[in-house]
This record gives sequence, structure tokens and C-alpha cells, in this order.
Amino acid sequence: MDISDIDHLISRVALGDRAAFSKLYDATSAKLFGVALRVLNNTASAEDVLQETFMKIWRYADRYASTGNSPMTWLITIARNTAIDRLRATKLTADIADVEDRVAAQGPTPEQSAIAGSEVARIVACLDELTEDRRSAVRGAYLEGASYADLATRFDVPINTMRTWLRRSLIALRECMAR
Amino acid sequence: MTEDLTPQEENSALAAEYTLRLLSPEEERAFETHLAQDPQLEAEVAQWVHHFAPLADEIAEMRPPKTAKAKLMTDLFGEVTQGQTAPSSIWSRLGLWQGLTLAATAAAAILAVMLVTGPAPQTPATGPLYVSELSAQDDSLRVLAVYDGSTGGLRLTGTDGTAATGRDFELWAIIGDNAPVSLGVLTDDGTGNIILPPELQSTVGGMVLAISDEPDGGSPTGAPTGAVLAVGEMTDI
Repeated sequence: MDISDIDHLISRVALGDRAAFSKLYDATSAKLFGVALRVLNNTASAEDVLQETFMKIWRYADRYASTGNSPMTWLITIARNTAIDRLRATKLTADIADVEDRVAAQGPTPEQSAIAGSEVARIVACLDELTEDRRSAVRGAYLEGASYADLATRFDVPINTMRTWLRRSLIALRECMAR
Repeated sequence: MTEDLTPQEENSALAAEYTLRLLSPEEERAFETHLAQDPQLEAEVAQWVHHFAPLADEIAEMRPPKTAKAKLMTDLFGEVTQGQTAPSSIWSRLGLWQGLTLAATAAAAILAVMLVTGPAPQTPATGPLYVSELSAQDDSLRVLAVYDGSTGGLRLTGTDGTAATGRDFELWAIIGDNAPVSLGVLTDDGTGNIILPPELQSTVGGMVLAISDEPDGGSPTGAPTGAVLAVGEMTDI
């Protein structure tokens, strides 16, 4: 199952093809479940989010072509946003240790990698140009859905300070990515 | 904001904050109002989505529980269309098979089956569509079956499992309590394109498909001789 297969499956799903939907689920649910778990740190909530994510995929598959993004990026964006909505709606007591144990047990498989190696290298290189704590803040916001308030607490600075320096970091990142 | 950003940088920073989900719900709504009217801003967001996407690479895959898929399919389509929760009634029916060899041999001799291993034609389906996921009880073999009523074509796509060395996967159709009818031998990864015999085309709904483990080239008797590896029931979609 590579990127063009997933691309094809989404276009079949847009036509209401349930078999394609089933295959798309088999091919991508583990990654999307991982994305939801990373944000939510809670298996039951992540399952709910996975369910909601695939319902959105079924409903909005016809919008995929217009986004111009890679199919995995599109799917991950839906899963991530759904998970963050859930995170913001309910303040959860996370069972972090439990999930981290299991996540540590298996790394991502290279063939399932959503993005070409050169692009990964580029964002990593640009993030490396930021200072350690700013890099960590950007990653925290993306991977865990951390809010400014969460980040301010984590780095022990006022929210406005947090926002000011994260915005500067984002601009620096954008300039680096445009080089 | 008090930073010394140019308006363009300000917009880009806002687009990045929106993409990362750092804005408050009120700010998000306000931004989305702008977004709907500003294609440049939309492009800026798309650019950020693209930039951040590689960060998701490090997220490990986690297989969700099997019940999650069944629940999803039920919620979306009103019924479980997949065989992944292999109904026990199908499995219990299998015990009958071994005694039905004679009838099956005759049936198999009459029904000519065409097996094509090339890619299926991509013509859109106009007739009724039936689908099933044939799966082993332990998931060691999973094959997706799609039947297109407009062409009579049954397409099998293996998603998990391969035939043992020197053994073949043979596909069978079972209608009601009748003996299994051979539909031919699949490739070692469970793939095949088959034109369903006309006699069977009207009975696809509720038809049970099964894959058995057979000697190279398929069952010598016309009835399943090896273990039944996967089953699924065809369901109208």
C-alpha cells in the first residue's frame, strides 16, 4: 500500500465505494489511531476520535482533491484536528505512562512514512535552527495539540511571552523553509 | 500583538498558529471568516500544513482494537458488512462440507470458472455491488471480495496472508446448505478476478465465500479437502 494507492482509495471513497473505505481503514487506521493517541493519551478517547475521523473521511472524501496535499497529510490533519477538538472539549486526566510504554514498543515503519525523506530532512533542519526550547514548543503544539496556556506552563513563562516568541520562531521557520 | 512583524509576516504567523491550533476558539472563528474570503491566506495555511506534516512521521502506528472497525461500519452503514467478526454460524456450517464431496464434484465440473490474474478493469460499476471481507478467525488471512453485478465480475484482493509453499488458496461459494462450489484457485497472496458462473449471479446476496487450503493447483476432488482458512458473507452495499 503506497501513497498512490491511498490516493486512489480516497477517490473511490468519494464516489461512495464502501469496499474502498474498508481498505482505506485497514491501510491507515493504525497511523491515525497513533496520531489521536499522541494528542489524547487515552485509548478510549482515541478510539472515539478514530471513529469520528473516519466518519468525516467518508463524508468529506470529495473535498480531498481540492486541498492539493498528500493523502496521508490530509488524513492526518483530519485526525489531528478531531483529536484536538476532543482534547479542548474535555480536560482529561491522562494515563501517560500507559500509552508511552506501548508507543515506545513500536517505531514508525519506513514504508508507511507519509512524507518524502528530503522534506522531513528540511523541516528537521529548519527546526534545528531554533533554540532547543522553541523547537520543543513547536513540536509540542503540533504533536500533542498543546495550547499557548499549556506551553506557558511547561516553559514557566507568561502566556503573552510564550506567544511572542513562538510567533517569532514560526516566522524564522517559514523563512528557513522558503530558502 | 506588539511584535515588529510586517503585515505579511503577521498573516503568516497567524496562519501557522491556526494550523497548529494555537488560537482561541474566538480567534479561530475570526480567522476562518478571513480565510473564506482570502485565497492567499488559504494558500498560506496549506503551505503550513505541508511544512508541519513531516513532524507526524515520528508518530508510531498503533493498531486500533478490531471492534472499532465493526462499530464504525455499523454506525455508518447500518450493519456489519465485513466478515472480520466471522459470524460463528458460518464457521459452524463448515463442518458439513467434508461429507458433501459427490454433489460438489458434479457441480464443479459443470461450472466453468475463469481465473484472470491481471488487474481489474477500472470501469465504474452500474449494477448492484456486493462486498465481503473473508477473514480467518485469527486474522492470519484476510481477503476483500467485491462483486460487480453489472459485469458479473468478482474481484478478490488479499490484504493479509499468503499460501503455504506448495499449497494453493481455493475459493468456494456456498449458497444456503448446498455443497461448496469451486470458484477457482487464487494467487498465493489471495488475489483473483473471476467471472461468476451465471447460475450463481442471482444468488450473490447472502452467499458465503470461503477459502480453503488445497494442494498445488486446487482440490483434486472438486470439494474442499484442506482446512477452511477464511470465510465471509457477501453483503449488498
